[in-house]
Amino acid sequence: MIEFSRVTKEYRGRRVLRDVTFLIRRGEFVFLTGPSGAGKSTLLKLIYHAEQPTSGRIVVNGTEVASLSPGKTAELRRSMGIVFQDYKLLPDRTVAENVSFVLKFLGMPAAERKKRTYQALRLVELHHRQTALPEELSGGEQQRVALARALVNEPELLIADEPTGNLDARLATEMMKLFSAINIRGTTVLVATHDQALIKETGKRTLTLDRGMVLGEGEKVSLPPQALGKRDPAETLGHEPRWRDRTEPGG
Amino acid sequence: MKTSSATFTLLDEAFSGIWRARRMVLLSVLQIGVSIYLVGVFLLFAENLSGITETVRDESAITVYFRPSSTSVERENLEKFARDSHYVSAVRAVSSAEVRKRFITSWSSLATAATSVEPNPFPDTVELDLLPDALVSRSLPGFLTRLAAQPGVDDVQFDVEWIRRLRGVVTLIQTAGAFLGLILALGAAFTIANVVRLTILLHQDEIEILRLVGAPEFLIRGPFVGGGVVQGFLGALLALGLLALSFHGVIRYVAATKNVLLGVFVVKFLPLGPSLLLVSGGVLAGLLGGLLAVRRRHIHG
Repeated sequence: MIEFSRVTKEYRGRRVLRDVTFLIRRGEFVFLTGPSGAGKSTLLKLIYHAEQPTSGRIVVNGTEVASLSPGKTAELRRSMGIVFQDYKLLPDRTVAENVSFVLKFLGMPAAERKKRTYQALRLVELHHRQTALPEELSGGEQQRVALARALVNEPELLIADEPTGNLDARLATEMMKLFSAINIRGTTVLVATHDQALIKETGKRTLTLDRGMVLGEGEKVSLPPQALGKRDPAETLGHEPRWRDRTEPGG
Repeated sequence: MKTSSATFTLLDEAFSGIWRARRMVLLSVLQIGVSIYLVGVFLLFAENLSGITETVRDESAITVYFRPSSTSVERENLEKFARDSHYVSAVRAVSSAEVRKRFITSWSSLATAATSVEPNPFPDTVELDLLPDALVSRSLPGFLTRLAAQPGVDDVQFDVEWIRRLRGVVTLIQTAGAFLGLILALGAAFTIANVVRLTILLHQDEIEILRLVGAPEFLIRGPFVGGGVVQGFLGALLALGLLALSFHGVIRYVAATKNVLLGVFVVKFLPLGPSLLLVSGGVLAGLLGGLLAVRRRHIHG
């Protein structure tokens, strides 16, 4: 489903990803984790062709992504559901409009769009806020709208960048259950997260990125905590670093 | 995606976009409306002046007055001379008795005087209708001179200069109107382009999001172009409305002042052709503006 072969990405000479190689098979549920600035968001952007690799080969759903035309890129993106880290909701459209406009591109009739939108919003427990504007919602609610939008067209591949970043523990667990349910139905799921507890809880396959490289699966990050930015209180107490609440400047 | 469904989505998005930016669009429509209104005023002037020229030309005939001593042979010769020329479409001989009858009909208050004078003081005349091209012919004055020089002719009346000047004024107004129309249409197109460009800048985030979720390119750019077309169309409709209002306002004012011109010339509003031309101009300006605004350097691909 997703294949990276020796992919390198540089921004003005600075290497963000180095020789990244991995394979995610159709129907898998994979977590992508790593400290801030490890390159998680860049890796996700390469998958949906918002960025071009400096070298290497990326194949998504049998198609080499780097050579895609704008039209084919749009087609590829329509086959995916993407939950962005900053939600990317349209500020002047209601919750329902934000979710349903993706279906418009697929030429779905209005009645069917309305039905699907309601179902997607019900999944994320926001069906009662259909007419609200994003600015009227909390961060967690906005995140759930973004998730509903990603799910509404029943994508083959679901990519989520920190989908639980603004959710409380109960909702985060619910969200993961939802991802698992979607995965069981056959959708490939790739979730980038800092939340180690969540990863442990679900016990799914994990790709760990560290300084632009994929570590061996199950291998731990060897960086000293100071290099990761602000010290996590969990580490001070001798627990596993959680990396939660850290943003990644520039991806 | 089916074409009908895509078109519907595109229009739906275009109208939603217009509604969201309604204040800016309203200003743009007003500005376009004023530009097209000015073009409409010129068209209206040109249309009516052209009509007046046609009326004057149609009603213009050369009148040849014969001397009382002229013979019937001289009159027949003049008629033949006129028919053989390339200027005349019809020749009508009007006897002195007929001329007197016409005078009495036109000036009834002088009827007694006109009938009481004997012998008939009105001369025999010949009226010559001109061919349409003859009026603009440079050799017409020469023809008039030759007519006056024919045996038995007393006088020839025809004010060709006045009609020529009127035609010149109409042509000037039409040319100025066309030039102004072009300038104003380009101005309207740039106004629309700027409004659409501003809308694009305001919706840059939205465009990025649409791209990221896989919106087809025509559905990203199309609504902006559609918005431009709608603005141009609405601007043209507004201009036509304003034009109709001001036209009827002027007519009422002239009627109230009992201006003598009102009885002489029939003024009319723009016919369907020029009205459609104005609306098409607005739509084209909108399309051009929209296309200018969505060039790749404005909507980053």
